Amino acid sequence: MDYTLQFGQVWPYLPRLISGAILSLQIAVLAFCGGLLIGTAGATVKTFGPTWARRAIGGYVVFFTNTPQLVQIYFLYFALPDAGILLSSYTAVLTGMTLNAGAYLTEIQRAGFESRRQSEMEAAEVLGFSRLQQIRYVILPHVARILFPPLSNQFILMTLGTSMAAIFGVEELTGQAFNINAQTFRSIEVFSVTALIYVALTLIASATLGLIGKFAFRAKMRFA
Amino acid sequence: MLERLAQELPALFGYYNVVFVAKAALATLALSAVGCLVGTALALGLVLVRLTSGWTLAPLRWFAIFFVEVFRRVPFLVTLMLVFFAFQLSGADLPLFAVAAASVCLIASAFLSEIIRAGFESVHRNQWDAAAAMNFGLLTSVRYIVLPQAWRVILPPAFSFFVLFIKDTALASQIGVIELTFAAKVLNNKGFSAALVFGTILVVYFAISYPLARVGAQLEARLAPSRHSRP
Repeated sequence: MDYTLQFGQVWPYLPRLISGAILSLQIAVLAFCGGLLIGTAGATVKTFGPTWARRAIGGYVVFFTNTPQLVQIYFLYFALPDAGILLSSYTAVLTGMTLNAGAYLTEIQRAGFESRRQSEMEAAEVLGFSRLQQIRYVILPHVARILFPPLSNQFILMTLGTSMAAIFGVEELTGQAFNINAQTFRSIEVFSVTALIYVALTLIASATLGLIGKFAFRAKMRFA
Repeated sequence: MLERLAQELPALFGYYNVVFVAKAALATLALSAVGCLVGTALALGLVLVRLTSGWTLAPLRWFAIFFVEVFRRVPFLVTLMLVFFAFQLSGADLPLFAVAAASVCLIASAFLSEIIRAGFESVHRNQWDAAAAMNFGLLTSVRYIVLPQAWRVILPPAFSFFVLFIKDTALASQIGVIELTFAAKVLNNKGFSAALVFGTILVVYFAISYPLARVGAQLEARLAPSRHSRP
């Protein structure tokens, strides 16, 4: 083993890695927000909806949480063109991640919704709260406090999951690393710098989410 | 389009393709199993290292913390690439499966060690103190006091991690390990339409993952109540 690590050749490409990291974060945020919308709707239907709708949402959740995200995106990217729907690699990845996130977030939020207690609602009613006030002042703060930690945890996992986009040619952090690797052949150096950027990225995200959770929702955050 | 899919169907489910996919499914399962078994052992080691005290072992503790924090925050794909190129550098001529298995073990040990640590933390502090008062060492306390109480807390999340992990091994296809996702790509390259091939592979993954997820849910339901009834 006579190989000398030469990080010097990677530094000039650092701006590209950083711009890739920003794109990674963008994909994660967009997919998370889309997933949150699906998840909120899904969890609401699953908790309060009619039986057939509950079954439909249940099927969606079970299917998407029991198959790999990678193969789901493969399906969107390679199989939909057969049906005349041509997605760009970015759209395919974003759609796949959003649908996948929607399934996981439905499950997480359903658990949160179920944690609300009947006695709390009754207490609010006794105090003369209207239905809207009950939701605004009793249910929402309670559910947000319970849900914030698992949701932020899911966001961190999704940020790591965006690296899959590289396989489809999206030039986010891992995609840029593949490109730079192909140009410089400094594989170990490129990928270890990439790994460190991911560590920094998720540490910053955890810290930010932790502060938000602590001050906005008084959630018990456990970020090691 | 549908007629074309119907036409391809008998050819796709020909004898050799089925055997090919079945072998690929076995590779996926083997990869996950190796990752989980070795990962659990390594994770337990990491947790034990972090529980040690005294200055002499401090560097080892820092290493364990560093290892866990880094590998929990690096995407599997990047770890896979790092391990792949590191093996290439070292000149060791290993099969791709071993490379994938090694990276799977790294990631699994990092995530599982956090699960195990959380389980250990759920055991009341007094139990540790009582063990210390009985002059139990670290290993004896863990073996006879902590593990018998903590396993109920550890098992459900560990099991759901295993199930999650089966799906993560799909990324091993990127370095050329012949597992389910790679098999789908091969069949697609052979000319079968993507909808059919990837649809079939999704169903195979589902068939593996869904029963295990159900077992996990049952484990959770069965073990959870007794966790709260404990004094």
